Amino acid sequence: MSVKRYSSMEYDNFEDLLFGHSKYPVKTGLNLEIGAGYTTAEINYAPRPDAAENKATLVNEYERITRDIMERMVQVGFPSIVLETEHVQQMTHNPEWGADIATAQKAIMEEYHDEYGIKCALRHTVGDVRGDRERIDLRGDAYSRILESFEQIASSGADMLSIESLGGKEVFDHSILRNDMRGVVFSVGILGALDVEYIWKDICSIAKKNKVVPAGDTACAQANTAMFVAGGLLDFKLSHSVASVVRAISASRSLAAYEAGAVGPGKDCGYENNIIKAITGYPISQEGKGSTCAHSDLMGNMAMQCCDLWSNESVEYRGDFGGTTVQCWGETLSYDCSMMNTALEAGVGKTLRDVLMVSDRYRDPQAFILSYDNAYRIGEVITAHPDDMYLRAKEAGMKACELIESGSEGFLELSKFEKATIKKARNDLKSLDENMESFICNCLDIYSSEVDTFDPSNYGL
Amino acid sequence: MIDINPKNILIRYNILVESDMTPEEVAEQLFPTDPYIRQIAKAVFEGDEDEVVAALQNTIDSGVDPLSLINDALMAGMEVVSTLYDYGLLYLPDVIISAQAMIEGIEYCKEQSKQVHESKGKIISYVVEGDIHDIGKKIVTVLLRANGYEVIDLGKDVPVEEVVAAVKREKPIMLSGTALMTTTMHAFKDVNSRLLASDINVPVVCGGGAVTQDFVSDYDLGVYCEEAADVPKIADSILQGLDIRKLRDTFHKH
Ligand code: B12
Repeated sequence: MSVKRYSSMEYDNFEDLLFGHSKYPVKTGLNLEIGAGYTTAEINYAPRPDAAENKATLVNEYERITRDIMERMVQVGFPSIVLETEHVQQMTHNPEWGADIATAQKAIMEEYHDEYGIKCALRHTVGDVRGDRERIDLRGDAYSRILESFEQIASSGADMLSIESLGGKEVFDHSILRNDMRGVVFSVGILGALDVEYIWKDICSIAKKNKVVPAGDTACAQANTAMFVAGGLLDFKLSHSVASVVRAISASRSLAAYEAGAVGPGKDCGYENNIIKAITGYPISQEGKGSTCAHSDLMGNMAMQCCDLWSNESVEYRGDFGGTTVQCWGETLSYDCSMMNTALEAGVGKTLRDVLMVSDRYRDPQAFILSYDNAYRIGEVITAHPDDMYLRAKEAGMKACELIESGSEGFLELSKFEKATIKKARNDLKSLDENMESFICNCLDIYSSEVDTFDPSNYGL
Repeated sequence: MIDINPKNILIRYNILVESDMTPEEVAEQLFPTDPYIRQIAKAVFEGDEDEVVAALQNTIDSGVDPLSLINDALMAGMEVVSTLYDYGLLYLPDVIISAQAMIEGIEYCKEQSKQVHESKGKIISYVVEGDIHDIGKKIVTVLLRANGYEVIDLGKDVPVEEVVAAVKREKPIMLSGTALMTTTMHAFKDVNSRLLASDINVPVVCGGGAVTQDFVSDYDLGVYCEEAADVPKIADSILQGLDIRKLRDTFHKH
């Protein structure tokens, strides 16, 4: 499959970005359409630790999860639902486990669809098992196993294919702990993008062959790692401004999946998806206040602003006072969707969007740069450099710095520390090489010696 | 687009609690006074590897024993860094960068000395079987090394067998284990029982996202702690003779 670089924005204006609406809705599963004028909950779950003992126990666990969710959805009257199964390692390592689980889940979903007409679809997210103990081997045997897993789930009932890819992580981990912006741009903007493009060409062919949806990736291993190390307001681990810069840069990485043929909805944990939607017009999944079961973040309401699917990231399957956890969280998410869908029907969607966005806009620099207007602005600098992976990553980072600095002249309060780090990040980015060739050449030298797990051949370099 | 002044809907508490003094100003008050030593400690604080080596060289040339500088100067500098980190005045990358400079400094002192330098103690660090989340472990490892410990880093996704074999071989003063998933953290219990079966009573200090104090309190050798920065403090306490029960009393906060 060929690669199409984005050189302009699919949305003409940030005012047009809105939840439940995308330029290119995705039809999938059992009569579901994503981004076609309504939002749908995407419930995500993890089996209990001892359920993965063997294939039979695991299939059984997922059957119970699926039935519980479908049952609750019809009990409370929700019109649509998406289920996301994020593979536990065993499912990707043994591709037939993943396939059997997809088949079992889909059979139950079909039952409910036939009986009640509830619109639904199944996403399977394959585990990126390419990083083994001592080294990362992105293109070897483990990669073949991943493709085999995609192949099997795609032919066994999964409607949408995703992965949270690892490419660039070894250099990123090293760099983020040292405030090294060069390493961040190199690992996310170059290495990450090269890997995403490489794997998504293959995933898209598999999806095409099996007539399922190549949905999308996320920069979880990079931007979410930074977000987690940064933590809450009183965690003094990593500058939140620096985490914002990483997030902006990560959009240039996630975009590579769509350039290789993915069509959305992008993965829930990709907070950079606001930028992706503005660029590509494809629907996105997002998580925020409905994923507090999995982690805390500083933009719980805002994350809804442009979502098409609304997710809980992940919850361990077990009993709770209100039912099983998947029922409780699925219900919460679906009520949120109901609220968004009502606003759309009533013609006040944009007002609700703005309320959600403004309630978090100034909570943190990370929220500020992902507010839909600013996300759009970052998209613009990325598309201004369609043929230069390096420049688009670097410029996205610089744009985030500029937005935060100008925001701090308004309502975005920054600590002295954040002001200093954002200034330093901007200067560091500015002083990087002029062009991609010399940048890559320098980085290969530096990181081959600084990071022992870094092997350029993983990226065809 | 709607916009409002957010002062009634959110509070940026990080700004409220920010100190008026810069980290540099606070550090100035904490550095040792001897001019040679101060220069080394300051270079560690600034994370400047070249400056650390230059300052060490300078001091060694003036007749000071290289090995004594590890404790007296390098550690003194790192202590300032740790103190400021505990105050919330420095951030993790600052600590990592200083730690790296410190580690270079230790190597240099060792090269310059004819005697053998004894590390404070040997520690094994690893991420449990089935788990590849290793950033936390990397942080812990650097901090321990910067505090003068020799760390045998077994890496990530380390089988129980291998952890136990390494303990038997290396005889560490403690283990530092990381787990981020509820599905993988049970491997701590297996390590615990395998060690007990061989009559080895080494503290297994456990941390990382998924791990909780309740979980760790459940097996005999387990000591729980939340913060990577506390791991060197636990090691120091072990050297001071605290046993597992006392370690729990000191470090179990919930
Ligand atoms: C980044 C990340 C990843 C990255 C990891 C990158 C890396 N190099 O580590 C990638 C993308 C590779 C990844 C993969 C997966 N992940 Co992940 N990941 C995360 C995420 C978002 C952040 C983790 C992180 O780096 N935190 C920052 C670091 C610094 O924190 P930390 O390690 O806890 O360390 C701190 C302290 O705990 C302490 N500490 C650490 N070690 C020690 C040791 C001692 C002794 C002490 C005292 C203290 C201490 O010090 C550190 C600093 O304070 C979490 C989300 C979350 N809520 O935690 C999910 C999360 C951990 N991942 C999860 C999952 C499910 C997975 C996958 C299975 C997904 C998949 N389907 O492929 C795979 C796992 C593969 C495997 N076999 O391990 C789940 C786990 C759920 C569960 N069952 O418990 C989480 C919780 C997300 C979720 N809510 O669903 N992930």
